[in-house]
Amino acid sequence: MGIRQAFREIRRGAVVMWWGFFDWVAVVSWKALLLVAFLSLIIGGIFRLPTLAFVLIVASFIIKVVAGGKRRAELTASQANRRAETEQLERTVLEARMESLQAQIEPHFLFNTLASIDQLIQTDPPRASRMQQSLIRYLRSAMPQMRDGGRPTLGQQVSLSSAFLEIMAVRMEERLQPTLNVPEGLKSAVFPSMMLQTLVENAIKHGLEPKADGGRLEIGAEIVDGQLAVHVLDTGIGFMPKSEGGVGLANVRERLEALYNGRAELIISVPPAGGTCATIKVPYEVVPAPAPA
Amino acid sequence: MQPLPAPTAVVADDERLMREQIIARLKDAWPELVIVGEASNGREAIAIVQSLEPDIVFLDISMPGVDGIEAARTLAGQAHVVFVTAHDQYAIDAFEQGAVDYLLKPAEPERVALTCRRLRARLRQEPDPMHDLLAQLSQRLGAGGLKPREYLRWVQASVGASIRMIPTGDILFFRAEDKYTRVQTRSFEALIRKPIKELIAELDPDEFWQIHRATVVRVDAVEQVSRNLRGNQVVHVKGSEEKLEVSRSYHHVFKQM
Repeated sequence: MGIRQAFREIRRGAVVMWWGFFDWVAVVSWKALLLVAFLSLIIGGIFRLPTLAFVLIVASFIIKVVAGGKRRAELTASQANRRAETEQLERTVLEARMESLQAQIEPHFLFNTLASIDQLIQTDPPRASRMQQSLIRYLRSAMPQMRDGGRPTLGQQVSLSSAFLEIMAVRMEERLQPTLNVPEGLKSAVFPSMMLQTLVENAIKHGLEPKADGGRLEIGAEIVDGQLAVHVLDTGIGFMPKSEGGVGLANVRERLEALYNGRAELIISVPPAGGTCATIKVPYEVVPAPAPA
Repeated sequence: MQPLPAPTAVVADDERLMREQIIARLKDAWPELVIVGEASNGREAIAIVQSLEPDIVFLDISMPGVDGIEAARTLAGQAHVVFVTAHDQYAIDAFEQGAVDYLLKPAEPERVALTCRRLRARLRQEPDPMHDLLAQLSQRLGAGGLKPREYLRWVQASVGASIRMIPTGDILFFRAEDKYTRVQTRSFEALIRKPIKELIAELDPDEFWQIHRATVVRVDAVEQVSRNLRGNQVVHVKGSEEKLEVSRSYHHVFKQM
């Protein structure tokens, strides 16, 4: 038993050594191979085995000529594969990291909303209840652990943002006039999560809230040259060229790059009437309808 | 002994529901307190406090235009200030150390009652001018976070029929062309009216380098610097075919490190 075990070990070792040698011969340069051949001839001479050394050298030259090219291509391919796997992994990690950055619910928003509900319970209970429903709807889709694993659709994202806007409209009253301009047919299109919400939050925080009179906020979607273009337009104080633009916009850019590799973009423009318009363009793709059970 | 006149207060918050809530809580905790006015932004708050001269002003920190901290700075010494905020950890830390009181939204009745007790005791003194606290607050909160930064982060340019805001991180280089300056990105070019000379003063010197009277390049976009036949340095930019010449007077920019 013991001898058989040892024999198997030796054989396995020899196979590994042979393939190691084979790979080395395949990828080593001719110059290095000649140098090694020359050295082994000398060593063979010292040990009085010049014929064996010569045979070995000729054999390795033949191996290099016959199998070298193929083996080298195989090695390159497997290296490329490993690299691709690492890149894929890095992308997944990056996406997860950005997801968590993106998903933060502003404590400011939450506390202010709870305070408003608290006040409405005293003065207008039915309205308090409606506002609480909106808050629940918003939290359900905004909390990362509450999101389902499927690909997010524009419809889901619009419903999340409209719940948010309903809350903000109760709080800001006439200072926020939201309009929704998203065709029913586009709601099944694939759209990355929390990006629309980032644009909406920015429009309120940097556009409308700082303006004493507030203004309009419009969410719109259309197909432009085969791309899905989703915009958030506000008539607020307008974009400041020296502002950092918040972590939010930088995050959206980074995520679009990671998800679509140059086939998506975020454009900030200044509408003729003032304010800010932020547009996200992504390839138009429809989520397949779930198969009937 | 003559009875003191009823204490007065002004409440400032940009959300009506929040003003209503604080007023309702104050009514419960301090029935004698008379709310003489309400304001929905900092500017209104200053005007109302200056004309009605209340004993106390409740100031929401984040308000449009002039925020609560700015307003407090203007009103320092004119009224006892109580700050109101939903969630500003930095601000709360600052308050804990100072003599000025604060309320967190949603305001709990017990906490409002405590603030009222403190205010009653403080009314006999002159209002604190709050110099140190306000300096600390505006530093911590960046005065509402709306102050423009030192350097340009976005360039406003016409692209086709629309006006776009281009993040400086997307720009490869600027180049003077006749009356305009060309802004080149990886995917498009745009024209702006601002001359190179003005641009370079507004751009972050760690982000953009001038290499020619007519050319400013983003450092991160530089791929390599080579020499042309005349011995001048030439900058190759990632994502553009264009080669940018470095004029003699700017050769020191790329001198060997």
